[in-house]
Amino acid sequence: MARLNDDAQWIILMGFLVSFSFFFLALVINQSTIVGQTTAESVIEFPKNDIRDVRQVIGQSIVIPYTGSSNFSTVRNDIEVLSINRKGSVVDFTNFTNGSATYIKIHYNNGVTEYNENWSYL
Amino acid sequence: MKNSDGQLYTIEGFAAALIMIMTAYLVVNATSVYTAGDTHITDMQLEALGSDALKMMATPDNTTMYIGDNSSLRLILENNPPDGEKFKAIFLNLTNNRSGAMPDYYTKINSTMDYIQFYANYTCRDSNNNVNTTNTISYSRNLTGGEHTVRATKWVIVNKDICGNVVKQNRAVLVEVLLWRD
Repeated sequence: MARLNDDAQWIILMGFLVSFSFFFLALVINQSTIVGQTTAESVIEFPKNDIRDVRQVIGQSIVIPYTGSSNFSTVRNDIEVLSINRKGSVVDFTNFTNGSATYIKIHYNNGVTEYNENWSYL
Repeated sequence: MKNSDGQLYTIEGFAAALIMIMTAYLVVNATSVYTAGDTHITDMQLEALGSDALKMMATPDNTTMYIGDNSSLRLILENNPPDGEKFKAIFLNLTNNRSGAMPDYYTKINSTMDYIQFYANYTCRDSNNNVNTTNTISYSRNLTGGEHTVRATKWVIVNKDICGNVVKQNRAVLVEVLLWRD
């Protein structure tokens, strides 16, 4: 019968420790790429520029220019049709005046992010 | 005479061999998914760069923001056909701006040294509510289909006889720019 040798148990234990620490380090490196990716993905998904852009053009569409009319209803149709066709987002807005104040209601929804705003100016 | 020593070592060896074979089996069978984890980050940067460049081009020089709105982007679009060379010059200047000395033979237009390329067009709506997307403004290089592009867009209100309209009137168009690195 072979005699079991129980020398060098410390060495084996240290070997386990080193291998486990390697394992966890690999896990950390693995996760770091995912963190960068999901951050960038969420930045791309959130339509910050789209909303700011559509707010600006809605503001422009309502103000009457120096010459000619603002052509509001046509411009609004342009914005709504092009938004759903080219940007995949539902944009709906109305403006009305109450006394001396003008109100603009903006609705934006691209399926992920919804944005509503009531705007008023004198 | 046969020696029956070392049987435990033999069993241990078999067990170790089994463990190794199992490990090799698992490793070989595992599906590896190679994702380039950083492409999204450069995409995001390129998209932000393009949006910022378009926003700068659509910002009027004067302060009568909503009334006069003589931004360079609007003036470019109101030309008939749109002033593509001007768009190209401004856009490439904004996106490929960098510090450091340039070689003597470097010129902005028709440069082969710019590494951010673009293809710009605008989209408008005709009287039947159809969307017309085939209005090219300008491009720095032809699209071959192999480019990894991102899209930046900008709304512009132009006073123009656009999309089959015969009278000049205020219309909203969407400027779309495809950007890629080359």
